[in-house]
Amino acid sequence: MSTAISDSFVVQGKLALPYQYFAGRTGSRFIISLRDEKKIRGLKCDKCGKIFVPPRASCETCIVDISENWVDVKNTGVVTGFTIIRYKEPHQLMEPPYILGLIKLDGADTPLAHIVKGVALSKMETGLKVKAVFAKKTTGSIMDIDHFQVLDDKPKFEMGYSYDELEIGMSASFTKTISETDVYLFAGISGDFNPMHMNEEFAKMTPFGTRIAHGALPQSLIAPVLGMKLPGLGTVIPEITVRFKRPTYFGDTITAMGEVVEKLEKKRWVRMELRWTNQKDELVAEGSCLAIPPMPFNK
Amino acid sequence: MSGKVAVCAVAQIKNEPDIWYQRFQGMLLDCFESIISQTGVTFDMETGIRNIITCSDDVFDARTISDNGMTDAVGAHFRGEEKIAQDGINGLGYAMACILSGHDDVVLLMGHCKESQSESRNMCTNLSFDPFFCRPLGMDFTNASAFQARAYMNKSGVTDDHLAKIVARSRQMGAKNPFARKNNPISEQDVLNSPMLADPIRQLHQYPVTDWAVGMLICCEARAHEFTDTPVFLTGFGNCMDSYFLGDRELTSNFALKKAAQRAFRMAGISDPKKDFDIAELNDAIAYQLPMWAEGLGLADEGQGGKWVDSGALDAQHVNLSGGMLNGNPVMLGGLARATEAILQLQGKAGDRQVEGAKKAVAHGTTGPAGQHHSVLILENQGV
Repeated sequence: MSTAISDSFVVQGKLALPYQYFAGRTGSRFIISLRDEKKIRGLKCDKCGKIFVPPRASCETCIVDISENWVDVKNTGVVTGFTIIRYKEPHQLMEPPYILGLIKLDGADTPLAHIVKGVALSKMETGLKVKAVFAKKTTGSIMDIDHFQVLDDKPKFEMGYSYDELEIGMSASFTKTISETDVYLFAGISGDFNPMHMNEEFAKMTPFGTRIAHGALPQSLIAPVLGMKLPGLGTVIPEITVRFKRPTYFGDTITAMGEVVEKLEKKRWVRMELRWTNQKDELVAEGSCLAIPPMPFNK
Repeated sequence: MSGKVAVCAVAQIKNEPDIWYQRFQGMLLDCFESIISQTGVTFDMETGIRNIITCSDDVFDARTISDNGMTDAVGAHFRGEEKIAQDGINGLGYAMACILSGHDDVVLLMGHCKESQSESRNMCTNLSFDPFFCRPLGMDFTNASAFQARAYMNKSGVTDDHLAKIVARSRQMGAKNPFARKNNPISEQDVLNSPMLADPIRQLHQYPVTDWAVGMLICCEARAHEFTDTPVFLTGFGNCMDSYFLGDRELTSNFALKKAAQRAFRMAGISDPKKDFDIAELNDAIAYQLPMWAEGLGLADEGQGGKWVDSGALDAQHVNLSGGMLNGNPVMLGGLARATEAILQLQGKAGDRQVEGAKKAVAHGTTGPAGQHHSVLILENQGV
């Protein structure tokens, strides 16, 4: 500072004055409902039908008293506008960055400003559905709603490829080693206790010279491919044909593979070629199937 | 009683980031003494100033009844005094009412705001919100405007690039204005690189903290010649208050501005705002507001703010040649600063930025979060 201003003095001051504000009859009822019932309530204008949240005792458009026309609105709503606060000042509630949104509650007509959480800042957009999360401790203000949480609108299950998403040449596979236990369990499931699968001494007399797995056992390994990978969840298989080429011995590692070879436009089904191979890359079986892919958004 | 109201003199100090070395009373006194010396007006109760309108804000001044802080310095003792706690441009509307009603024939208007005094401008504007529903959320004029900015930019095709252009131009214009806040020159790229405050508002999109004071002498037409050779006539005024809650408003509709403009235009006989004005000064506290308010005033077509900026209309329509509020004027005086520039232009005293032959101007002011209240003033330098 230059000496010319050395005789200047700046007084340090502060405005800090506790207040008590009566919330008004309308505001009181709104805040009490929030506090005691965790219910968000609005006031409805009988004349124009508009539902105000926060509530107003009169409709400013129709100039009528609406102070007794209480209606419950939902705890859920849609974000109609938002900003991401990145500056930090003492009047703010929390550490930036955070999202301040305008939320139109289901059943209300006037969006309400509040904090939005539960979404990456870069993914925030208008139109997201949100739900009120109530504060653990009441403060007797709008902050009895702690924030609005973005509702996860992702499906519970990741559905498979739709007809439009499937392309000729797409393929998927599943691999598993067939153990003695698998064969015994399969015998139990199917009731097929044929000694060629169960009895080593009997099996020695067959052309295979040892026990082999049921043909349907490696065949069944295509089910996780079609039903869980390609096309995936939601698929229906109306037809499957198989030609068995080689036996599966205990301890063989079988790979079941399916490939889309044709799109049947009229039915919106696909034809798939199927192949089963063992650890020596020998063909165990081959065949084909028809697949009805999952319908889009059929959740 | 004459049907016209004349501004006889305007006096201002330079807009500065922090006039820590002068009290706001002193800032006003500089303007006051200039008005007296320009006009020779007296405080004689028959022929002089009998009524004074002041404009100030309690929270920015940190004292309630903020006019009490400086009524002595502006000659307001022993006569009528009213305080405007809105944008000072409404003081001109009020002065018009005083004079057109015949209640007064000479009125002094004095406005000040020292934004630098408080630690945070946003904390001051946070106090403009109710203590139940909005204030606890930390709402202030910055984040309230951000809601509007996003919605408006989507509606009118205004991009981050447009905003950068607006801010860079404001700084160029401000550099030519000796009363404008002295800012670092910035490029459009500097604006695009400036950090986000509240998306989509960047730091450089918002007007900088500024201190300023201004005074004006207003009188009836019949007496204007006593005080000036270059009277500027106030021929139209209108204002409108929109709903308080942001959720009650259609944030991009410019509802209040359109109503205010309609009333002012009807009073002044304006039929084509695109052609009728030689000067347009708009209260652009944040960059997106310049095209938005231009739409509301009819300087730009509805929903075409982006194209309006691209078209070069800011230069063609002589919009904010002062640098605008974006270059730095304090809140409460953004609109009165617009009127100040319009008056200087119509007096032919705008120096390097003078528009030759300017006859008619529109000045706009706004108060409250996201343009809740708008005021529109029409000024002319020839008899109607």
